[in-house]
Amino acid sequence: MMGSLRRIGAVAGNTFLEAVRQKVFAVLLVFGLVLIYGANYFTEFSFQEQFKFLKDLGYAAISLTGLLVGLLGATQLIPGEIERRTILTALCRPLRRWEFVVGKYLGLSILLAVMIGVMAVAVAGVLGWKEAHLIAREGSDPAVAALIRAEARDPRLIQALVLLEVKLAVVAAIAVFFSTVATSTTFVMAMTLMVYLIGHLQSVAREQWLESGEVASWAAKFFLAGVAFLVPDFNLYNLIDEIVAGNAVSWRSTLEVVGYSGVYIAVLLTAASVVFEGRDI
Amino acid sequence: MSAAVQTVGLRKEFSMGWFRGRVLALEGLDMEVHRGEVFGLLGPNGSGKSTAMKMILGLLRPTRGRAEVCGYRAGTIAARRQIGFLPENPYFPNFLSGAELVRYYGRLSGMGGRVLEKRIQELLEMVRLGGEAGKRPLRTYSKGMLQRAGLAGAMVGDPEILMLDEPTAGVDPAGSREIRDLILELRQRGKTVIFSSHLLEQVEDVADRVIILHRGQKLREGKLDDLLTRKKEWEVNVQGLKEEDRKELRGWLENRGVQVVREGAPRERLEDYFLRSLPEEKRR
Repeated sequence: MMGSLRRIGAVAGNTFLEAVRQKVFAVLLVFGLVLIYGANYFTEFSFQEQFKFLKDLGYAAISLTGLLVGLLGATQLIPGEIERRTILTALCRPLRRWEFVVGKYLGLSILLAVMIGVMAVAVAGVLGWKEAHLIAREGSDPAVAALIRAEARDPRLIQALVLLEVKLAVVAAIAVFFSTVATSTTFVMAMTLMVYLIGHLQSVAREQWLESGEVASWAAKFFLAGVAFLVPDFNLYNLIDEIVAGNAVSWRSTLEVVGYSGVYIAVLLTAASVVFEGRDI
Repeated sequence: MSAAVQTVGLRKEFSMGWFRGRVLALEGLDMEVHRGEVFGLLGPNGSGKSTAMKMILGLLRPTRGRAEVCGYRAGTIAARRQIGFLPENPYFPNFLSGAELVRYYGRLSGMGGRVLEKRIQELLEMVRLGGEAGKRPLRTYSKGMLQRAGLAGAMVGDPEILMLDEPTAGVDPAGSREIRDLILELRQRGKTVIFSSHLLEQVEDVADRVIILHRGQKLREGKLDDLLTRKKEWEVNVQGLKEEDRKELRGWLENRGVQVVREGAPRERLEDYFLRSLPEEKRR
């Protein structure tokens, strides 16, 4: 067990180190500049609207950056190693293939978590700066100052960050699964994006055909049931938008989504390991 | 004691994709490598050398037949513990330094802590990448340095068998000589070395036994002495022979019905001449 953990840790650490040394974190600089620019925008609106704009912008930027890094990183994880043939010198060691798959995935997940964390700190910093700026300008009234503070220091944003992290972790797991099936990064990217889109549409399709009372053929029902079972429902992560919009979402709902994501990640990594086990390198 | 490596009827076919059939890469290879010997896998490109090696390493699954490493089925964790592998080209994560590469491979082999750190220093010294050289990123290394770093990485888990795929391909004569010397040193330490090459002179220098493959089939196998010695001929190299003595010697031989096949001053090998021409410090 300790040996397995050590080997998984070695693969994960190397994956993270590669991303760091290949300057993946440079995208954070762009992210910071976007935020700072956004913070000075819409100053003529009310402070509630300004904070809403900043939170929307911050979370959209974190989400987009995380999705890009997660998707590009995951499609490169195994096909990239096969292409560069560095996989030969790793897999000829006393390393089980599932350890390699899990290690690679963990390395990417750590990278995503660190990136999301750093970007979240940047968002918090900009919100804090905006808070100080607005209190200095409009906060002579203690009630207004309290409202500004409440907008800037909304603890529910942590829930949104947790949900964003697990959403990206699911996307990365889908990409890792496809990367054990194919060698082409284009194929992996296309398939992952397709599943991502189906995941967003599947609940709509379900409602439309299965729950609206319309008569659906058994083939359509079978197909939709299969899709609903195999593809994660990405609409569950719409809770992020709810939270950013200022609506209350319970921790129970958040943890249910985390659990749901965990099951999908475990299933996808198990399937990826099984496929990879039988693959010629 | 079981053989270091044994293959029985090892066959590999590759699928070319949908509706495009299959291609045969290796056909029924029977091979036995004894412990402690240097074994050469020879053959032109596409002869099946790398395919055979990859099946022994467990990177490819045989279509038929089996391979064993020190008595363990090839590809199992127990079998892979016995082998260190140096691939044909230096396919290493180039964002790492030499020391980090060896550390990474050590950790993949389940090592860690002070034992690993001590081993890294020993190996880097052995392949002459100690000190500052070991701290440089691999992307700044020459081909010869990369091969030596890879060799250190292959040896980190102290495996019984070293498997080297074209270890001197693309390496200059001095680097090539270094790798040859390392192979001989490994044999002295009791390791089994299996290497593939199409550079036959280098094989001749180090291999105890060879197998010759062509288009996936075994053509010849045996000890180099048995394969290469012309048993009906005899060779004597002498110094200080005068011209009149040489003619007399030739006549004496012909009078006794001996056919003189070749005669003349022996030539040095170009590689030896080149290395001898270099200043002492450049030879290493």
